[in-house]
Amino acid sequence: MQVNLLYRPSQALAQCWLAPGERVIAESGALVGMSTHVRMETQAGGIMSGLKRMLAGESFYRNAFAAEGGEGEVLFATPLSGDMTVLEVGDRQWCVQSSAYVASSPEVEVKTRSGGLRGFFSGAGLFALETAGRGQMIIGAFGALEELPVRGHVVVDTGHLAAWESTLSCRIGKSTPTWLGTWLSGEGLVCHVEGNGSLWVQSRNAGRYGAAIGARLAPRQP
Amino acid sequence: MRDEIRDNPEFGVLHVTFEHAGEQIIAESGAMVARDAAIDMKTSVQGGLASAVKRRLTAGESLFQNTFTATAPMQSMRLAPAPEGSIERIVLRSGMEVFLQSGAYLASSPGITLDAKWQGAKGFFAGGLSLLRAYGEGLIWFSSYGGIHAIDVGRQHEGYLCDNTHLLAFTEGLRYQVRKLAGLKGLFLSGEGLVCEFQGHGRLWLQTRNPGALSAFLHPFRPVGGSH
Repeated sequence: MQVNLLYRPSQALAQCWLAPGERVIAESGALVGMSTHVRMETQAGGIMSGLKRMLAGESFYRNAFAAEGGEGEVLFATPLSGDMTVLEVGDRQWCVQSSAYVASSPEVEVKTRSGGLRGFFSGAGLFALETAGRGQMIIGAFGALEELPVRGHVVVDTGHLAAWESTLSCRIGKSTPTWLGTWLSGEGLVCHVEGNGSLWVQSRNAGRYGAAIGARLAPRQP
Repeated sequence: MRDEIRDNPEFGVLHVTFEHAGEQIIAESGAMVARDAAIDMKTSVQGGLASAVKRRLTAGESLFQNTFTATAPMQSMRLAPAPEGSIERIVLRSGMEVFLQSGAYLASSPGITLDAKWQGAKGFFAGGLSLLRAYGEGLIWFSSYGGIHAIDVGRQHEGYLCDNTHLLAFTEGLRYQVRKLAGLKGLFLSGEGLVCEFQGHGRLWLQTRNPGALSAFLHPFRPVGGSH
């Protein structure tokens, strides 16, 4: 699979070229368009793994797109405006915030992180997916994407976390030592990222955006 | 008349300079950003009231369009669409036609005619899409939510399939069919619902975002109303 990222940074579109027989797996809903040489298969992978993905904030279905009878092209995008990047999976493995996952090559196994429910549930709907295998993964952000090299300890707002290398440990915690301080700071929950490795942050926080705009909209029916 | 599109793909703006008095541009109502004082603006109902009402009913386009006319040489103005995104320009020659997703129309030169083509019979209407047909001789500008991606069907690709919500415009050499993509079930979330499949020879334009996805994202953040 060859990936070409267009209209970066704000309106990014991932253009994926598939050789005959090649496949790409994507989050349901990410499809913008595809050539007719591409066939789509829905793979819920069983009810349980589908439900597990839903708990992780992803959609129930993940789709496979396969080029048949020739080369194929598939286009993917994210619902909110922002940038995309391609992460190489293999020598480095990644954890990715569920809403940042867009697509991956089939050799990359993307699973809901074990202990996700207990260890990673932040109350902010943050779940992590974890990669295994070798290939490429496309991630999409809300806003700009920035890679921060971590040597030691970095504190990141959970809403700004996009992806981090598996060599890093990621622990949810308060932004200040006391709960009162955390509440007053408005910084909410943060992620303590520790170790050596690469961290990707997104410059906008979807939860804050939704709260800022959504509160001004007309009430919905309960 | 000279024209230039600036600030794509984030915040596309159309800059127009009329070199001679009498030159005109027609724009969707509300699209004007600024104009020199020697440009007259007249609000009109293009193609008569009946045709404008039909446009309003079928394609959701504004009932009124504004015609801007230079009354002196070297007058300039700027036009912009409502959402953040890009602007694209097409040169139409006699005999050519282009179909625009409702709401994508931004502006056109006086030689262009807009017609709301009823797509019910062909399935577009059922797919939540309604189209404006543009023909004639001149220029037409349309806009997107997000970036605009062009695909040459029949050259780059034998055929192309796109999500209905990302479809922006296409030329008349293309045949299309609206259908549900096999295996895409809307069990919990709609995901990709309806798609449009294009065959033939022509150009297709897609937008990288869709307004429906934004409103679906914002919906849960709305305050919950009382029972009254």
